[in-house]
Amino acid sequence: MSPVTDAVAQSAELGWVLGAMTVAFFTAFVGWTLWAWWPANRAGLDAAALLPLEDSQ
Amino acid sequence: MATVLWGLVGMLVGCVLALQLAWWPANLSLPWTSFGRLRPLHTNAVIFAFPGNALFGGIYYSMQRLLKTRMWSDKLSAVHFWGWQTIIVLAAITLPLGMTEGKEYAELIWPVDLLIAVIWLVFAANFFGTIAIRKVKHLYVAIWFYMSMVITITVLHVVNNLALPATLTRSYPIYSGMTDALVQWWYGHNAVGFLLTTPILGLMYYFLPRAAQRPVYSYRLSIIHFWALVFLYIWAGPHHLLYSALPDWAQTLGMVFSVMLIAPSWGGMLNGLLTLRGAWDRLRTDPILKFWVAAITFYGMSTFEGPMMSIRSVNALSHFTDWTIAHVHAGALGWVGESVFAMLYYMAPRVWNRKLYSVSLATTHFWLATVGIVLYVVAMWSAGVTQGLMWRAFDDGGLLQYPNFVDTVRTLNPFYWIRLGGGVMYLVGMLVLAWNLYKTATSAPSNALEA
Repeated sequence: MSPVTDAVAQSAELGWVLGAMTVAFFTAFVGWTLWAWWPANRAGLDAAALLPLEDSQ
Repeated sequence: MATVLWGLVGMLVGCVLALQLAWWPANLSLPWTSFGRLRPLHTNAVIFAFPGNALFGGIYYSMQRLLKTRMWSDKLSAVHFWGWQTIIVLAAITLPLGMTEGKEYAELIWPVDLLIAVIWLVFAANFFGTIAIRKVKHLYVAIWFYMSMVITITVLHVVNNLALPATLTRSYPIYSGMTDALVQWWYGHNAVGFLLTTPILGLMYYFLPRAAQRPVYSYRLSIIHFWALVFLYIWAGPHHLLYSALPDWAQTLGMVFSVMLIAPSWGGMLNGLLTLRGAWDRLRTDPILKFWVAAITFYGMSTFEGPMMSIRSVNALSHFTDWTIAHVHAGALGWVGESVFAMLYYMAPRVWNRKLYSVSLATTHFWLATVGIVLYVVAMWSAGVTQGLMWRAFDDGGLLQYPNFVDTVRTLNPFYWIRLGGGVMYLVGMLVLAWNLYKTATSAPSNALEA
């Protein structure tokens, strides 16, 4: 067993929290990747990429 | 202007320190000029004063254009500027006098810490106020990078500096032992992450497309870059405490997150370099693009080296050696410094509405800075590895081969002279920049950009 799993095993409660956090953060990562590459969002993001090139002031 | 002035002061002190390390009488045998007191002055100046002022300037310049509105409050902007300069002056007085909290990059005494917190919140209020009155719905990715800095630095600064004041100049931290060390390095590593990395990446996403006159290679990748970077960075601090009393699992956590940081860092680097596709020919003539390409390349190199050094077995060799100094300066002089120069050469002519006084001087500055960094970094890499190997060398009897610390110091001395040479070149480059900008600002109005 690694030091990480040892520490987790000492506290079932902490292990549950760590597991939930891993799932939540992984889901968030997959979520924002899907959002960024979603075909319907493409036009909006392509337009946003041009923001620095617009001369306003 | 403040950037250039404090940059000159910070780098001059850096060169004095380099001289002290190569030739000890340079400490002048005075307490105020000893290495222990000047070193925090150098680090504070080249973190909070030189890039600090530059990135505030870059943020004020770019966010008003990206959000198509003026700053929410010009008064708060002025309070922010003068407050920040007051803090720097106070630091320049207290640190040589030996007033310190003893925390690396957080040495300033508690009254100055309080002033920093107040001035930072003034900036935060103005920043979010401007976002609230914006005339563009979409927040461009640069604004997200700036936002992560404003929020994270507030939390880091306040939590790490919690202390009980005893007198006006002395206080005791509320943490002790290993907890104190962990909080300190959670702060220390993220001060690098959220003051010198994320805001400058944000500035890169604005100023690089401007300079290259084309949009960023992949805007979608920049969004993933942002979220992955801020999520991973905040956990990496414990890699400063490998082989310490910190629980093993926490050390491993710091190491694993540091290694994972390669992914977003290199994603960002490639996104920056690929933005120049089709514009590479302009690299020959445009010093701004030269600075950006060198800066991003140093960013890629440092963010590969950093995760490597956070691995336990590599750290066993590199920790406490000059290798760390090499790593820090590749990041600070290469990535941060050259990005700041690129921004200054872009912004200054536009702010003053004058053509840059001399493009060839800017190119000279580029070569002085880049060759200076290479000399510095190669010397410190060589010194660091030599030092690490000498410390761990055993003779046939199983005893330390170099039990006397002076042995390593003597061996490293030539490298320290080369380091000084590289540092002086970088400083001379700064003087060339200062002269070029001064001549630009004072040139005749007929030299206007849009005449």
